[in-house]
Amino acid sequence: MSVLYLGILAAIPLLCLMILIPFFIVLFLGEWSLRFLNLIAEQISQSSLPQSLRTVIGMVPKLMLMIFKSIQRNMLRTSLTYLATFVLVLVVTMVWSILAFIDAVTSDKAEDFKIIITERYQIPSQMPLTYISQVQAVLERLPPELRPTSDDFMTWSFVGGSLDPQKRTFENSIFLFCLDPICLRTMMDGIERKRSRKTGEVYDELSPEDAKAMEEIVQKMKANRQAIVVGKERLRILNKQVGDVIEVTSFNFKDIVFRFEIIGTFPEGRYDQSAAMNLEYLVQALEEYKREKRTAHPLADKSVNLIWIRLPNREAFNLVADVLNNSSEFSSPPVKVETASSAIGVFLEAYKDIFRGMRYLLSPAILITMALVISNAISISVRERRTEMAVLKVLGYQPWQIMLLVLGEAVLVGVISGFVSAGITVVVVNNILNGLKFPIAFFPAFFIPKAALWWGPVLGAGTAIAGSFLPAWSARTVKVSEVFSKIA
Amino acid sequence: MNQPIVQVRDLEKSFIRGSEEIKVLNSLNLDVAEGEFLALMGPSGSGKTTLLNLIAGLDQPTSGQILVGDQMISEMTESQLARWRTRHVGFVFQFYHLIPVLTAYENVELPLLLLPLTASERRKQVRNALDLVGLVNRDNYRPGMLSGGQQQRVGIARAIVTDPTLIVADEPTGDLDSKSADEILTLLTVLREQLNKTIIMVTHDPHAAERAQRILHLEKGRLVSETVRDQRITIP
Repeated sequence: MSVLYLGILAAIPLLCLMILIPFFIVLFLGEWSLRFLNLIAEQISQSSLPQSLRTVIGMVPKLMLMIFKSIQRNMLRTSLTYLATFVLVLVVTMVWSILAFIDAVTSDKAEDFKIIITERYQIPSQMPLTYISQVQAVLERLPPELRPTSDDFMTWSFVGGSLDPQKRTFENSIFLFCLDPICLRTMMDGIERKRSRKTGEVYDELSPEDAKAMEEIVQKMKANRQAIVVGKERLRILNKQVGDVIEVTSFNFKDIVFRFEIIGTFPEGRYDQSAAMNLEYLVQALEEYKREKRTAHPLADKSVNLIWIRLPNREAFNLVADVLNNSSEFSSPPVKVETASSAIGVFLEAYKDIFRGMRYLLSPAILITMALVISNAISISVRERRTEMAVLKVLGYQPWQIMLLVLGEAVLVGVISGFVSAGITVVVVNNILNGLKFPIAFFPAFFIPKAALWWGPVLGAGTAIAGSFLPAWSARTVKVSEVFSKIA
Repeated sequence: MNQPIVQVRDLEKSFIRGSEEIKVLNSLNLDVAEGEFLALMGPSGSGKTTLLNLIAGLDQPTSGQILVGDQMISEMTESQLARWRTRHVGFVFQFYHLIPVLTAYENVELPLLLLPLTASERRKQVRNALDLVGLVNRDNYRPGMLSGGQQQRVGIARAIVTDPTLIVADEPTGDLDSKSADEILTLLTVLREQLNKTIIMVTHDPHAAERAQRILHLEKGRLVSETVRDQRITIP
């Protein structure tokens, strides 16, 4: 263990250096870009633009350059401020990514309004297969403008099993969503092909390669009932690969052994630990069981766990809920109709304190720490440069201009640090680590949204302004005669 | 005497230290002619620098009037004073006070950034100022790479680059060896003679003061005597 700690300790300076490299590159490129801009400004100053505009164009790159140079006067302090901001933006980005995901899945989406039907009084929900056609019949009776299409319907049956029936372990177990393979691309969150309700435009959240691979998987699963798709992480844990044939002894569908052919993997992310199989194979297995045992399987009439429907709006939801809640067709067992977001919200209720802590305690605490770190660095810098501020005042700089120069220095460090931190977080978490492994409920990993690329700089700039406001104000109020009388 | 460019009337300045009021300048009257090189001398605490700061618009008097050119600067707000200083005053400091991260060129250019000038006009003015102080070939040097005398020359270039009405210098040779000091004083003389600049210089050094046309002696916030070309006149 001590060797591990020593290794980590030794890696920290190297890591810091690696994090600092982008900062130095941005500073270098920024400074040279401003020099180049300055040359352009000189050319523009000879153009026929209005004098005031030419003055501003000529002045801005110069003042920006001064800010760039100022933050380089004490590179150690600037680097440490950058590193501290980097780490804090990284933590906030990760926390906010989790919260943003949770917010997204627990809020209704006008474009993708899904509802879930489950058994009302039992967890796990177990509904008969006949409910599928009965629910479809209810949907058929909806007014045409509210009626979902066949692409808006999905059922889930959960199948759990082990590759070794004698010794069931985490490493040899597999959990499968049992569904119509088409639903993988029409209804499964994260891998579905989406259609805009307003424009009818079809779009994908998957990369073109992943989308193509998923389309091929769907076709193979339709053609071969025994084909399954498995998450990459689960495949690795099972020590299997695409093309392998596996026998899975189910532990919920007792006495049923499935023989699967692994034909592909899910795109990295949400389904890393899961797998999906064809519903027809489960139905066939249940029928074979009945033929062999001359009695129906105990779960034959309880094999549907969830029914998902995408509806155009809440009005359709109310109609469906009204029918399903009151119809005698759905009384044995009675069912519950919820929006997907509210169902997930109920499921996540147990984690609400963690989320509340992250949202209202951790995030503000980090933001305040960031502001204090920047405030401290800028305060020292302003204190050291009081004479310089006084000189600027003597030269005719207005207090607000001096304040802007100081704020500019802080914002520059904050923005670069925020952007680099968010950028690295997105690349490392999403592409190298395959998600932030922070398992909550049925979400095994979280991904950093692309929006983090603007969160980072905005966070950096916001906290820089908040942190440097007081030091900048103190620079603004430097009294020239006092400064020089002390020097004399 | 030419038309006075600086007129100081009944000037008083006092500071509050704790519960005590310290009177630094007391009913002071002064005229400085356009194109004059004036030296202010006196013991420490006599009010030389305070007077210089007031004339340069860096501080506000407790009472009295200061007229520079046609501007009553004693009645200006801080913001008006800042704008006025940019165009009308060039300040030369004892310790140069150049911005260490900027090159000589950029230091000289600093006050010009506040004026409505195009980049090419700015460049021309900076080149002229550096040429005048003999440092055009050092324009890309940072202050740390220059000697004290050279830094002070950059400071003077910065002071004259806006073509101000008035140049005020607070002990401009106080931090220099005698050779460099002599060069700086020669430069100030050239500015007066060739560009007709009005220069007010505070100094402790009698040799430096000798280069001025007129020397005013202050004591306890009052002008006590005036020396014009070796003739000392006591002010009643």
